[in-house]
Amino acid sequence: MVKIVIDKVTKRFGPFTAIDAMDAVFDDGAVTCLLGPSGCGKTTLMRMIVGLEQPTVGRIFFGDRDMSGLPPRKRNVGMVFQYPVMYQTLSVEENIALPLTQDRSLSAQERDKRIDEVLDILDMRDKRKLFIGDLDAGSRQKVAVGRAVARRSDIVLFDEPTTNVEVQAKLLLIRAFKLVTQRLKQTIVYVTHDQTEAMTLADCVALMRDGRIIQYDRPADLYATPATEFAGWFLGNPGMNFMPARKTAAGIETPLTAAPVAADAEVSGNGTLTAGIRPEHVRLGATAAPGAVPGVLKDLSVTIAGRFIANVRIEGDTIVKVKTDEAIAARPGDTVYLAADPAGLSFYSDGNRVAAAVRQSQ
Amino acid sequence: MSHRLRTWTYYGVLWLVSLLFFSPVAWIILSSFKTRNDILATPPKLVFTPTLDNYIDLFTRNTSFLLQLGNSILLSVSAVVIAVFVSFLAAFCFSRFKPKGTDFLMFLLLSIRMLPGPAVILPVFLMYVAFGWKDNHLALILFYAMFSIPFSVWILKGFLDGVSTRFDETGRVNGGSWFHVIFKVVLPQVKPGLIAAFIFNLIFVWNEFLFNFIIGGVTTQNIPYALAVGAYSDGGLNWTFISALTSIYIVPPVLFIYFFQKYLLVGMTFGTVRGEV
Repeated sequence: MVKIVIDKVTKRFGPFTAIDAMDAVFDDGAVTCLLGPSGCGKTTLMRMIVGLEQPTVGRIFFGDRDMSGLPPRKRNVGMVFQYPVMYQTLSVEENIALPLTQDRSLSAQERDKRIDEVLDILDMRDKRKLFIGDLDAGSRQKVAVGRAVARRSDIVLFDEPTTNVEVQAKLLLIRAFKLVTQRLKQTIVYVTHDQTEAMTLADCVALMRDGRIIQYDRPADLYATPATEFAGWFLGNPGMNFMPARKTAAGIETPLTAAPVAADAEVSGNGTLTAGIRPEHVRLGATAAPGAVPGVLKDLSVTIAGRFIANVRIEGDTIVKVKTDEAIAARPGDTVYLAADPAGLSFYSDGNRVAAAVRQSQ
Repeated sequence: MSHRLRTWTYYGVLWLVSLLFFSPVAWIILSSFKTRNDILATPPKLVFTPTLDNYIDLFTRNTSFLLQLGNSILLSVSAVVIAVFVSFLAAFCFSRFKPKGTDFLMFLLLSIRMLPGPAVILPVFLMYVAFGWKDNHLALILFYAMFSIPFSVWILKGFLDGVSTRFDETGRVNGGSWFHVIFKVVLPQVKPGLIAAFIFNLIFVWNEFLFNFIIGGVTTQNIPYALAVGAYSDGGLNWTFISALTSIYIVPPVLFIYFFQKYLLVGMTFGTVRGEV
């Protein structure tokens, strides 16, 4: 059990800075997801942890051991890659056994026991004698997971392991990952650009952008109280709505609220703010209601779980995305009414969260 | 009808050209079964009574034949094995670690093959004499290996570039050393390249005469040397000797090329059609 400490690490590739003076601690026995758009440096960070790249500046510790300059095989880290690389000529169990045979202190019985255990967790007992060529991409990735965890290394890294797996197999794979992570209390760092995966698997999510971790939080907190506009926009499907807001003597005026709302914190600055609200915190109605503002329905579409997503244009030409459970009797072009749930309304200044709306304001 | 005629003409021409290229080889092989008079007969005799006398003669009278055959095999195989091994490691470095100026270094490496042999024969000869390396198997093997390395590096780098670094990384992360990665993970995947490099250089060393003649000597003489020296040994051009020796001489490369021709093709294209094997 070791935690991973990233100590002021910078990584440059020529003029390009992939990781920018990063400090972070990934807790032992926890699953940390590195989440972020492509090119934000998450894979580079992972490659430095495993030792395939060396930091330009800074150090990486496992527990209190400094890993600087150590080659990957001395670090005792398991890793699952985006593309599973397997020995095509070996069977499933032989592939899992291969790294174990490098460890001479391990008896044959112990080796078999570990392979059995891993195959059990992955639900692949019946496939143990199959060759890699007979497996689909999802099962191959499971074998790769098995191979990485069977060594019982302190740390296991996952580098976007579901990218090349079809959707159905992907869900099964994520379930398998979840089981593995719960059973084997290893420190796990999981890189993904898929927020659903991150939310499902992670104990903590590190949201990354441009070589920095911009927020490190439990998934629910990250979703509920994004610290930046970027986090609000990146998480959620669709992401948060943003619209201009203005601080006045009576409170904060937003296009979504009929009356100014009170903020829970003192907002400094010149009064120009951005209001953010998640699509599920906006209520959509066909008739006027107290506190609601009118808008023109642009379109309405069905999304997963029978929910609807509506795009509504309101005052100031702002398009508001609304997620709603029931369909409304309105057609594109009709006037509809939107009401913001103050519990979901927060305010941003220069991209950073500065305050939330006070709940009792209406 | 005209379509059929075209097909026939097409194949007819192909066969004709191929046979034309094969005819000197056929002539030598046929001659090795002829008597001296049959070989020199005008017009050339296509129907004759075959005889094995030339081969018997070769083994009984030419006492150094086995030495020459053994030398040919020893020199070419060991030089090429050394060359391919060194080249594989060099190509791995070029392909994976990409030292500064890789392209230029690769070009410099190949430049030795742009140099005509006769241009360097004198300095090489003087150097070998000064070192006392003349007529020494090891010295000659190293010389041939040196000559074979550049081309092998080129071929193998093409193949190694085709092997994704994912294999290296997976191997290293799973506890493998560089040694393990290079020889157990990567090497099996570039076998076609290794075979192609092996054959190309084998053909070169197998047919090498000039340096064997100049910096080799009596104990290192190979078959091309024997052909050149023995051709006039019997008073006049000794065609029975030449034809019999040549017929034996071309057997190993012909067998090699026949069985490995698909690798030869991928080698010529520097691995760009690797997937076809």
